[in-house]
Formats: sequence, C-alpha cells, structure tokens
Amino acid sequence: MSENFENELRRALRPVDAPEGFTERVMRALPAQRDPVLPPVVNQQPAYRLVKRFGIPMAFAAALVLSVLLGMHVARVQDQRMAEEREAAGLAASRELMQALHVTSQKLDLAYQAVKTPPSPAGDEENRT
Amino acid sequence: MKILIALTLATLAATAPAAEPVALKGQLRIPEFAALANKASESVNVTLDPQLLGMACRFLNADDPEQADVKKLCTSLSGIYVRSYTFDKDFAYPQADVDGVRRQLSGPGWSRIVGARSNKENTNVDVFVLLDNGKARGLGIIASEPREFTIVNIVGNIDLEELHSLEGKFSIPNLGIETAKKPEPPKPEPPKKK
Amino acid sequence: MPDALLARARAGDAGAFAELVRAHQGSVYSIGYRMLNRRDAAEDLAQDVFLQLYRKLDHIESLEHLGFWLRRVAANLAIDWIRRLPHTTTQPLEEGATVAAPQPEDDMLMSRQLDKLLGELSPSARAVMLLRYQEDLDVAEVGTALDMPVNTVKSHIKRSLTQLRSRMIGAKLVDSEAMP
Repeated sequence: MSENFENELRRALRPVDAPEGFTERVMRALPAQRDPVLPPVVNQQPAYRLVKRFGIPMAFAAALVLSVLLGMHVARVQDQRMAEEREAAGLAASRELMQALHVTSQKLDLAYQAVKTPPSPAGDEENRT
Repeated sequence: MKILIALTLATLAATAPAAEPVALKGQLRIPEFAALANKASESVNVTLDPQLLGMACRFLNADDPEQADVKKLCTSLSGIYVRSYTFDKDFAYPQADVDGVRRQLSGPGWSRIVGARSNKENTNVDVFVLLDNGKARGLGIIASEPREFTIVNIVGNIDLEELHSLEGKFSIPNLGIETAKKPEPPKPEPPKKK
Repeated sequence: MPDALLARARAGDAGAFAELVRAHQGSVYSIGYRMLNRRDAAEDLAQDVFLQLYRKLDHIESLEHLGFWLRRVAANLAIDWIRRLPHTTTQPLEEGATVAAPQPEDDMLMSRQLDKLLGELSPSARAVMLLRYQEDLDVAEVGTALDMPVNTVKSHIKRSLTQLRSRMIGAKLVDSEAMP
C-alpha cells in the first residue's frame, strides 16, 4: 500500500480540538475524594469450607462470621454517614454559591445604575466612567 | 552516618509543603482576611474552586426557578471567590489589602469596563474583565464604602447579562464585550397576504 | 512534561491533574469524535475517560504509560458504546470541529471526506485506523491497546486502507495514478 496515501491519511486525521472549557468541566465533574480502586476479592470461601479444611472449632468460626457481619454493618453505617456528610457539604456549597452570586449581582447593579444614570448638572460631586 | 542522612531526607520530604494548586486564567490572589471576620458585623467569605463549584452546582435545586437559572450558568464557570465585610466603624478594613487586589486588576489582559465614584457617599465600584480573544474569561469587582468592602472574582466564560439577570432589575448597557450567548437569528417575516 | 506533574496529580494537586487533562484532551476527544461521529457523545466519552484516569492515577507508572493508557481506554470505551447501541446508524460528522493545526483547503476537504468514510468501517477497524494513523501507535501497540492479535491488526489496516483508497479515488480526492 502506498506510503503516500498513508501519509495523506495521517495528515487528514490530525486530532481535533476538544470543545472550549472541556478541562474545566472535567474538573467540576471530579469526585471530592479520589477513592482508590480496590482489587477484586478472589477465591472467597464459605465459612463451612474453612472449618472442614482447617479444622477450626465451630465456635471460633461462628465468632469469625459474627465479627465479619458486624464489620459490614459498621462499614454500611459509616458509608451512610459519609453520604450524608457529602450531601450536607454539597448543600452548603450550593448555598454559598447562591450567596456569592447574589453579592455579585448586587455590586454589578450598583455599577450599572451609575452607568445608566445620566450625569447631573455641574456642581454635583458624583462622577462616573 | 548514611542512615542518619537518609532519615533526615525522609523527614524533610515528609514535611515538605504540598505544591500550591495552579491558578486558573482570570483567577485573582485574594487574601483570606481571617482576622477581619472577627471585627466585621457581617461577612461573606466564599471560595468555590472548580471541584467545589461542581459539587455546589450538582446540589442546586432544579425545581427552584432561581437555582435553575444558576444551574445553567454553572457549565461556563470555573471558580467563584467572594469576600465581603461590613463594619460598625468607618474604614475598619486594611486598604492596602484591597489595593493589592486592585493592582492585579491592572495587570495584562484585565480591562476596567465600569468605574463609579460617589464623593458624596464615599463609595467606589469598579468592574473589570479579563479578555482573551475577545471573550470575557474573568470578572473582578471591587466595591468599597467607608463601612463595607467587597471583592468578587469569577473565573470562566463570563456572560455579564446572565449574571446580572439574577437581580432582574436593570438591563445591561452595551459594553462591547462579547457574551457567551450568540444573538438569535432574525425570525423570518411571514409572507404578506395579497 | 516531567513525571513530577504525574506525582503531583497523584498527591491530589488539582492543578496538576488539570494540566494532564489539557495535554491529552485533544487526543482523547478526537478518538471519541471520530469513533462516535457526534460531538456531544465524544465529550461525554472523553469526560468518562478522564474520570477513570482520576480514579486510577495510582496505576499509571509514567507519562508515557499515561498517554498509552488514555488512548487504550478511549478506543475500547468507544467500541463498547457503539456495540451497546446496535440501532445507532452512522451519521455524518457534525460541522465545526476544528483541527488543532490549520490545514490547506484540499486537506480539509479530504479530512472531512475521510471522517465520513471512517464512519463506514466496523468499530474495531475504525479504532485500529485511528490508533495507527491519528495517534501514530505502531502495529504491536495497537494490538496491545485493543487486545487484538498483531495479524488481526494488520488485516484490519490492509482491508481498511484498500476500502478508503478506492472510495477516495471514486470521490476524486486522490489521484489513482499516484497509487501503485
């Protein structure tokens, strides 16, 4: 196959620009915390196989299972609390956003009032640009 | 000896300050004014960087008309920073800090688009935009009165009309700044009836 | 771009991560754009890719690895998306996408026609062609990125080049005599 055509293909397939503001939108979409990706758990064995294989006393096996269940419950409660905290933080941030934009709009209004108001006769102390 | 050197280096590395995040185009360096908050009778201190702003936008209520309008603005903004303090006494705030921010607004790319002075009430309001290829990428507002000062910095694709419409009182004068909205094409006239 | 930038991004420096995004957004977006034929879908895909990168920064060994990782994820994600929507017909690319560097008019015409013809290739063949001729990966790298045997990659390239060439000659965009 001709090198010419391949070179023309390369020239024609130059990358296109990402839309304006793309990076900013990506940054906004990022989660608050970067949770590391955990490797999948492999070779899980049900409790009774552990007992048969290793000869662990049943009482100990039961205690092990209970502690795992308790741990899962604690983790679930913690996850729920974290989700509630994230929601609270998000709502607080959105309130701050509204407040910030109100302040901005008020000040812009002050400035634009001055621009729209016709200049007073000579002798007035106000001036605008 | 080698172990001591290694330990020292490790300690230094562990205690080295984290690198400062890179400022976005149009972002000003605004002091925290932490000490002022205690002296002020009212204060507004908002720092929403791209991540926090994104989070804030996600939690806006689309059923609330005002928040819905703001949600539309969100896609074009990258950061919002506001410091506003009101005091019980005249000039209780450090003018030098305010002037420090004002100096940044006379830097390259920034243009003052509105300046209003009232000697009678001793108020000043200046609005600056950072222009990049004819588009507004940053907004800076400094408003000062004897008992109040406000600094606003908004980063992103600025549409002044949209920002101002949140108050909905006055229409924006033509300031010659290209806004994010493109003008709507003229509607075709209906055919004339004979 | 030094590897220190990657280290800073891993440490949570948002500005450093933003720089990484800026450096690679053109490539990732272009893969999405030429695979999916739509700007909005391409942006969604590119955003997904960078969100994945954010979560998996600890797995990236170097800046070179980062570039390859992004291309691999973008191409495979695009193939998945196309396959999950079997009824989506190929549409002509939207006007208005700007190429990173200015092109002579003839090149722009050829570029548009080529984009259209690429859309007629199978998703795998399209991904192969983009990784080879847009991203300049060698045949072995394309195979690794798409989890495809090297001979399959070569076969895709040969068939796609033949198809593209004959369609371009038909559209009088390349000179048939120039092609042996």
